[in-house]
Amino acid sequence: MAIPVTVVTGFLGSGKTTLLSRVLREPELENTAVIVNEFGEVGLDHHLLRPVAERTLLLGSGCVCCSEREDLAEALGELLDLYQRGEIPALDRVVIETTGLADPAPILHTVFSHPVLSHHFTVDLVITTVDAINGTMQLSESPEATKQVAASDEVVITKTDLAGPGEKEELEARIRAINPPARIVEASFGEVDVRELLSPEVRVGERDLPRLQEHDTASTHTVSVTFDGPVDWTAFGIWLSMLLHARGESVLRVKGLLDTGGPGPVVLNGVQHVIHPPQHLDRWPDEDRRSRVVFITRDIPEESLLASLGGFRGLLGARVVPLGERVSSRGGSS
Amino acid sequence: MCVLCGQDFVGRLHWTDRHVTDRALAAGPASDPGEHQRDRRRDRAHRVALLNGVLPHYGLKVEDWSGSKYLLRDRKGRSELVQDLGALWPAAQRLSGRVPDPLDAALLESLEGGR
Repeated sequence: MAIPVTVVTGFLGSGKTTLLSRVLREPELENTAVIVNEFGEVGLDHHLLRPVAERTLLLGSGCVCCSEREDLAEALGELLDLYQRGEIPALDRVVIETTGLADPAPILHTVFSHPVLSHHFTVDLVITTVDAINGTMQLSESPEATKQVAASDEVVITKTDLAGPGEKEELEARIRAINPPARIVEASFGEVDVRELLSPEVRVGERDLPRLQEHDTASTHTVSVTFDGPVDWTAFGIWLSMLLHARGESVLRVKGLLDTGGPGPVVLNGVQHVIHPPQHLDRWPDEDRRSRVVFITRDIPEESLLASLGGFRGLLGARVVPLGERVSSRGGSS
Repeated sequence: MCVLCGQDFVGRLHWTDRHVTDRALAAGPASDPGEHQRDRRRDRAHRVALLNGVLPHYGLKVEDWSGSKYLLRDRKGRSELVQDLGALWPAAQRLSGRVPDPLDAALLESLEGGR
């Protein structure tokens, strides 16, 4: 079994360390190792704490998200070594706390593509902390903050106890517009339900995905689609790898379940150029057996994305349908 | 790295190649290795056929190279060997001098016309 790695990201002062120090007090997280990039005002006290200096190895392509975080590769390698030699009796989870400005994509890339680490670790969750007081402003002013929210599986709104009336709701709507499938969790003084926070599951489809035109004000576009039948997985791989080659910088997130004609869907999860190893499930998580894929992009209009999937329908074997509209027929094509 | 064929033995599996390996692992060690090879070949042949629906727009075509790599060629006879789809698109860009882009309206038109 691969050891889950949880990435905790969020702006400086947004409460990452407070959240972590709270969460790490739980007895069930005793065998969790923590890798931190910076020491905040709140000191973490944990027996498996490993501070590292952020060190990025830019690979030949020069693309930041496909660069390798040498520091993390080294730290994870050391942990694995200690664990395998029995010096750490158990290693249930690794939490990586990033610096405020860190891009989560290189972290995922490092874990997924490293020849050794990829066999021993998997990234189960990207959690981003956003504080209820400054979050809305940070999302308006900083593309990095938007990127972090788009890359998250869970967004923890912190300092809700200090927020003025309506501030939390405004921030929540903003987060929802950027990243509709993300789960939003509230924390005041770092208090959260740890079990809820750290339980990764297929969450797409738990709530209704937004209609096509809903998008964030700051040029991020969210498009949710389904297909009128099973999609050819090989063709989808061609299309998506081509899109990421041409427009990788603009694709902040791809997430969803894809019906490829098997007994269960393929779980798609990508952050910029970095695609999680696609998981083929042996059954659907709920009654709804339609594909549902959310694209969060910057500067790619909804129409272009739909036109592209439409143009590829001969290869894909199914017609794209923007979610929110009725699907008239299903399963007719293959 | 093998000096003769450039094969990288410490493989970094591209995400589009995972499903075949996953199927083989799911089938378990007692399964027929020949079946895995056939599955893999079928999958590669299918990918090559699909790619050859897209690449002509850029003056390129692709073929399977001994079941381990893909050979990309242009009309002038220039070619590049690539490992997977992660390497194929940059090579297609080098050979054609254009960015293969699925949002490109001209490509979409040629796909519609080709069917």
